[in-house]
Amino acid sequence: MAAMSRVLRAAAAWAARRAGSAGITGTTGITGIAPRLPGTLVPVRHSGDHGKRMFIIKATSFYDSRFLSLLRFYFFLTGIPVAVLLTYINIFVGEAELAEIPEGYVPEHWEYYKHPITRWIARYVLDPPEKNYEKDMALLDVEVRKSELRLLELEARRLMRHRGDGPWYHYETPDKNLVDNSMKATPDN
Amino acid sequence: MPEDHDWEAYKVPPTRTPVSERTTSVPNPVDYFQTAFNYVFDAPVTFIRDWIERWQNKNKFYYYHQKFRRVPDLSQCLEGDYLCYYEAEAQWRRDRMVDQEIVEIVRERVAACKQREGPNQFQNCAKEVALLAQVTKAYQDRYGDLGYHGNARTCLMKQKHRMMEERKAAQENQ
Repeated sequence: MAAMSRVLRAAAAWAARRAGSAGITGTTGITGIAPRLPGTLVPVRHSGDHGKRMFIIKATSFYDSRFLSLLRFYFFLTGIPVAVLLTYINIFVGEAELAEIPEGYVPEHWEYYKHPITRWIARYVLDPPEKNYEKDMALLDVEVRKSELRLLELEARRLMRHRGDGPWYHYETPDKNLVDNSMKATPDN
Repeated sequence: MPEDHDWEAYKVPPTRTPVSERTTSVPNPVDYFQTAFNYVFDAPVTFIRDWIERWQNKNKFYYYHQKFRRVPDLSQCLEGDYLCYYEAEAQWRRDRMVDQEIVEIVRERVAACKQREGPNQFQNCAKEVALLAQVTKAYQDRYGDLGYHGNARTCLMKQKHRMMEERKAAQENQ
């Protein structure tokens, strides 16, 4: 009886000490599934902010997000200036209007295009189509003359070979004084 | 805004929308939708477009349709005159592009007529359909089966064969 009361009193003191210590510092309460006394404080539960901090284990997104970030950076590095330039040109410069060719006026070769960027490219980058035309005609002219000369040469060669009266097709023959006619001198050989 | 085409070139027949007479005193809800559309979409867009046009009208510049001089045809070129061949070939290609656009325009007219007339198309669109048949037959006769590598020379040969067939048929008919 006395031993029982002494055990009970020790247990009660021990419980009180536990409850008292947990009450003073709120982080050393027993967590987990161990049985605990009612009134024991446990750390942050059902709070209003983002909840208990968890260490979520997932695959790394470092490389993916770095790739996408670099992609966006290099895309917009030239994309944004180009977009701003195109917006400026299309809104503030605008496209050309169609008009009849005035009397006695020969338009330049870039004035046949509508969009200002096309006109700029036709004016400063590309050659005028008349120049291209003339270049093609010049090339054709050279080739025509070459082909005419080649045909003439073939005709001349054919005629000289046939007639034998031209400067070509001369073959070295032995001197007629060197020919020994002695075996043809008598008719009975 | 892009300009409209020349309305005098192809006169669209007048619309025959019937005039509706009001039989109820209930206001037409379509009017409210119309005004809502005007205020929400039409007015801001028109305002911005007018602002842009005012800005662009400060320095206007024009573009023209190029007019090419006529050069001697392939049938007028001397044999071996490759420069004349080149110019005739370029002119033939330009003419073929023009003819393709002509056929395209006539086809669009027929399609527009069919869309406009609806169930009456077979009677009311007869002129446009006849014109399309004539134009496509002419195109087929001239540029028809030349193929991808067709050029002025093959087209001239095709014309020569056509004329020979006609002459043969005329002689047989006599």
